[in-house]
Amino acid sequence: MKQRAGYLFMAPVALFLLVGFATPIFIVGWYSLIEPRTFELTSDLTLANYRAAFTEGYGGPFYWSILGAFATVATCALLAWPTAKMLHARAGRGAAIVTGLIAVPIFVSESVRLFGLSLFLMPGGGILAGSLKALFGVSIGTVLNTKIAVWLGLVYVHFPFMLFPLLLGVALIPQDRIDAARDLGASRWQVLREIELPLALPGLAIGALLTFVLCIGANAEAAILGGQAVTVVTRAIEQRFSYAQDWPMGAALTMLVTLVTALVVFPVLSRIDLNRLIRR
Amino acid sequence: MKKQLQALWLTVILVLLYVPILSVILASLANTRYMRFPHRNWSIGAYTDAFSQQETLVLHLVSLKVAALVTLLALVLATLGAMAFARYDWRGRSIYQKAVVLPIFFPQPVLGLALLLFFSALGITPSWKTAVFAHLVWILPIVTLVISIRLFGYDPAQEDAARDLGATRLQTLREVTLPHLAPGLISGGLFAFLLSWSNLPLSIFTTGADTTLPEWLFSRVATNYAPVVSAIAVIGTLASVLFGLVVLAALWMQRRAARQSSSASASISTA
Repeated sequence: MKQRAGYLFMAPVALFLLVGFATPIFIVGWYSLIEPRTFELTSDLTLANYRAAFTEGYGGPFYWSILGAFATVATCALLAWPTAKMLHARAGRGAAIVTGLIAVPIFVSESVRLFGLSLFLMPGGGILAGSLKALFGVSIGTVLNTKIAVWLGLVYVHFPFMLFPLLLGVALIPQDRIDAARDLGASRWQVLREIELPLALPGLAIGALLTFVLCIGANAEAAILGGQAVTVVTRAIEQRFSYAQDWPMGAALTMLVTLVTALVVFPVLSRIDLNRLIRR
Repeated sequence: MKKQLQALWLTVILVLLYVPILSVILASLANTRYMRFPHRNWSIGAYTDAFSQQETLVLHLVSLKVAALVTLLALVLATLGAMAFARYDWRGRSIYQKAVVLPIFFPQPVLGLALLLFFSALGITPSWKTAVFAHLVWILPIVTLVISIRLFGYDPAQEDAARDLGATRLQTLREVTLPHLAPGLISGGLFAFLLSWSNLPLSIFTTGADTTLPEWLFSRVATNYAPVVSAIAVIGTLASVLFGLVVLAALWMQRRAARQSSSASASISTA
């Protein structure tokens, strides 16, 4: 009875994701194996696109996307850890309101928020530069259209995705464990390294994973804040599909991003018990 | 001292999160060709311009169509999916649980591109309808998780009790299962609507000739600045905030009603 009910209820979702998620990836995989600059799925298969991916200067976009993802994960983790600890320690109405206020921007479109950030950072008449000039007579430059602006945008957009899983993780640390360690003479650093981090690891891992994956495909940050400063991998792929009309090449690059994602996601996801993290 | 420092830290985080949103609002309050803050002439001209453009309405309608349909389909499918996720313990469940969350851990623009290729391989011309499909691939897993969290706290024995007391299958569903699930359904629906309404990376590649609000904003922001762009950004965001508030109010009223009915039944049992 339970078996049958389980299969019955999972069927629609499983079927939908099979069609809408697995099949598209399979088709991209197929496209990546046909002759460059052709559109016929029935032609002979070749690895030419993958060879070109490694020899024709796509290293840059991959490098910047992966570097940006790592830098964002690290920055978000450093910012979110103390924030999560504080919110957990102050559990109550005030903390709930602050948590809610941090969540709201997730639901405001990325284009609006990044646009806002670019208005804020704009030189001359931007919100920050203009205000400083009017109030204090100070003229400042801008980081807009640099890699730093892209990094700021990535951190800004993805901070909540690190914070919320981390909040779940921090809630897994029993306070008495920390107190006991402190009583036994452990330093702050030891408590952090030997008690808090290992216990909160499932939350930290999910947060880091989510942030990394979202960042590796991110292109709006670079487009709105980076100007011409950096070409991210999604942009490079998009150019293959649109201007270059070389779908097999774009597909091969897409498969490589999928591969990088899978190499990061599967090891982490297989070690985490989702039931434990969300069941409460 | 430590407490004040912590309060300061949290305040700074909140301010930083809201400064860009505030910047859009400030920028929208002038109708000059170039952005020169602080504005010499504050005005709501950009808003009158936005409201007088047919385009504003069309953009909102496309986004609304997509988000409403995504919400409806996601709720139906995710409720079923959540039952298999959290309610029944069956062989293969742990594999299913991990497979369902995979699309969340997949870069959205890459997913959008893959779906674009998929549609064209099938000979389907992208339009707002294909965007609904694309949004669902990413949103359905999220809504399934949200409803599952609620289902984990559910005791299936209640259903057996209702059946033993003579309730039909339909009655049990309507009067026992759904009321318990209601908060999960409401927040799941809220997630689905807002995430679809604000989605950029999937829409960019899958809407074809139709344009959603975030897409339009993205294309205008990346090319040329105009105050009307800020105004439309504010209008679109306010529309979703309004929707969120209405749903949260519904959730709050539902909770209050549940509390009252449980205290009423408690008073009956004590009487």
